[in-house]
Amino acid sequence: MKSLTRGHLKAGLDSVRGAKWRNFWTMLGIIIGVASVITIVSIGQGVKQQIGQQISHSGKNVITIRPGTLRANSSQSKSDFSVLSGLSITGSLRDSDVKTVQDTKGVSASAPLAAVATDVVGDNGLNKNSFVIGTSPDLPALINQSLAFGVFLTVDDEGMNAAVLGSTMADQLFNSDVPLGHSFKIHGEEFIVRGIFNDFGSTPLSDEANYNSTIFIPYDAAQRLTKNSAAIYEILAKTDSAKTVAPTIGSLQQSIKKGHGDQNDFNILRADESLAARSNVLSLLTNLISGVAAISLLVGGIGIMNVMLVSVTERMHEIGIRKAIGATNRQILSQFMIESSLLSFSGGVIGVVIAFIIDGLLRFFTNLRPVISWQVVGLAFGVSLVVGIIFGTVPALKAARKDPIEALRSQL
Amino acid sequence: MALIELKEVSKVYGFGDASTLALDEATLTIEKGEFVAIMGPSGSGKSTLMNVIGLLDRPSHGSFMLDGRPVAKLRPNQAAKVRRDTIGFIFQSFNLLPRLSVLENVALPLAYKGMSLSRRLKQASNMLERVGIQKREYFLPSQLSGGQAQCAAIARALVNNPKLIIADEPTGNLDSAASRLVMELLAEIHKTGNTILFVTHNPELTRYATRVVYMHDGSIIHDEKTALGQVAATARKVLYTLTTTTEEDDLAGVSALMMALPNKPAVRAPRKAIKHRTAKSTVRRKPKSTKASK
Repeated sequence: MKSLTRGHLKAGLDSVRGAKWRNFWTMLGIIIGVASVITIVSIGQGVKQQIGQQISHSGKNVITIRPGTLRANSSQSKSDFSVLSGLSITGSLRDSDVKTVQDTKGVSASAPLAAVATDVVGDNGLNKNSFVIGTSPDLPALINQSLAFGVFLTVDDEGMNAAVLGSTMADQLFNSDVPLGHSFKIHGEEFIVRGIFNDFGSTPLSDEANYNSTIFIPYDAAQRLTKNSAAIYEILAKTDSAKTVAPTIGSLQQSIKKGHGDQNDFNILRADESLAARSNVLSLLTNLISGVAAISLLVGGIGIMNVMLVSVTERMHEIGIRKAIGATNRQILSQFMIESSLLSFSGGVIGVVIAFIIDGLLRFFTNLRPVISWQVVGLAFGVSLVVGIIFGTVPALKAARKDPIEALRSQL
Repeated sequence: MALIELKEVSKVYGFGDASTLALDEATLTIEKGEFVAIMGPSGSGKSTLMNVIGLLDRPSHGSFMLDGRPVAKLRPNQAAKVRRDTIGFIFQSFNLLPRLSVLENVALPLAYKGMSLSRRLKQASNMLERVGIQKREYFLPSQLSGGQAQCAAIARALVNNPKLIIADEPTGNLDSAASRLVMELLAEIHKTGNTILFVTHNPELTRYATRVVYMHDGSIIHDEKTALGQVAATARKVLYTLTTTTEEDDLAGVSALMMALPNKPAVRAPRKAIKHRTAKSTVRRKPKSTKASK
């Protein structure tokens, strides 16, 4: 029986090889299904993992205060909004709020992020990609980011023309590798490079500005450059421990509200909460899309069934011959079952290979980091095989139950 | 004990008004070692008889003992096993699987028996040697001549050591040289003790048989033993009244008849002359008619 199975395998391989193109089209449904399920799930898992890293990165005891009213400047162009979404929400956070947050009980460190809309001129002339943020010395601790070279702004730098660059910005502004101590111009004023950040792990699908192309200057300097109109789009605050986050949020809420004349025109977010919410939405989306992709697996199975049905009709004479020389119904059945599962198996293998190729391309060309887990590969592959077997049964049964004389009589 | 015992076997196709009686209470006993030719006009039930004996078809009525075992009511899978183990089929159109090599084709029945690959290929190769086409074992069936293909089919029928070989017009698609080759091969196999049943339209081939069965309208109308190497007595009558196919044969038959008649000249020459003249006259007439129309 074992050798017979091997014979069927060979016969199946022969027939698959015999009609390469037709079989490729047959497998296409399975190929697309497997590849898309694996790709979508791996992208979802990858993004979730990156968000998880971000949560642990920024720490659980970081509070973000943002202006609440999006309508303020939402008439601005959409591309602006998507790149620097914080910028377009101007207004509701004020200079006084920065002090309020600093003085609130329970806040151990805080830093405003104030955007400065201005020109930056470096070694290579005017730089259009730059994004200038005024902030306080506490920032590295709050966003848990270390410097590659030099030091961050200190308390002594307040009001001085010092700057710390993101790594991309450092490359773009200067020709030298480590431009510490070099100067460049913001709004016509000379600034001296104090330090350069390590690469910020960027998060796909997040609304954070890209810190790698950002210039950080002291908050005071930013206010001076903009004549006290720097748009504070975020204030970060940190508590001593995760336990005191909730009461601190309460007191922050109260004190800022008081400063705004009892208006609730701001939002206070916990880092873990907002990220967790995003992660939940993401997994929901991933499930939805992989469900849609799974349908293509089903359609692929139906495709296999159709081609096998045609193949059974075409090979009726062969079935007749095989039966005449002593093949039992079960042997014919297993022959056709093996053929259809071979089709779906090959489709699954090609699909997995394509999924890995797509994964490589995504890693190379985008900032997505898909995670292909073996469970997903196994699942997609297994489902495709099961689909092939289930949809292979109908044609195989049709072949097996054929009357030998009738089958012999049918000519090609 | 007889190898085949058919008792009043009938086979009805269709239902009601549309039903046809393909076999009408045929009774036939064939002993081991017989070489039986089955003759009869088309539609006389020869193929149905073969299918019933070969267990491809179940009789509607009657009993059938194959090698002492009742097989008339076997279920399809059991019938398949009996076919596999005791019957070898040879078809008019060879029926080799086109995608398999000759060797694999011959080895196929052994695969259904569950023999290991190396063993069955070896056995198939031996069988091909026996039928004389071992050199072609890796060819595809489409690369063989008709005679070679039929030899391969015979090898496939023999590879299981069947007790019974059923050949449905084995020479139907072959020229006379290839037919002789195939029949000589079957005769050789018969000498080793196999029982062979074959259907034929050609009375000449009854020379190879030890027994000839004639069928008409689903019944066995005549059954005679013949000596090997001689055309069967009844078949001999058919031999010379055979419907000929070519015009040349026709003319030869007519002229032979005319020659046999006393005091009549042979009509061959005048016939030709008439043909010639009519051909000329039509040629002549055509331009005339066109002129007249002008």
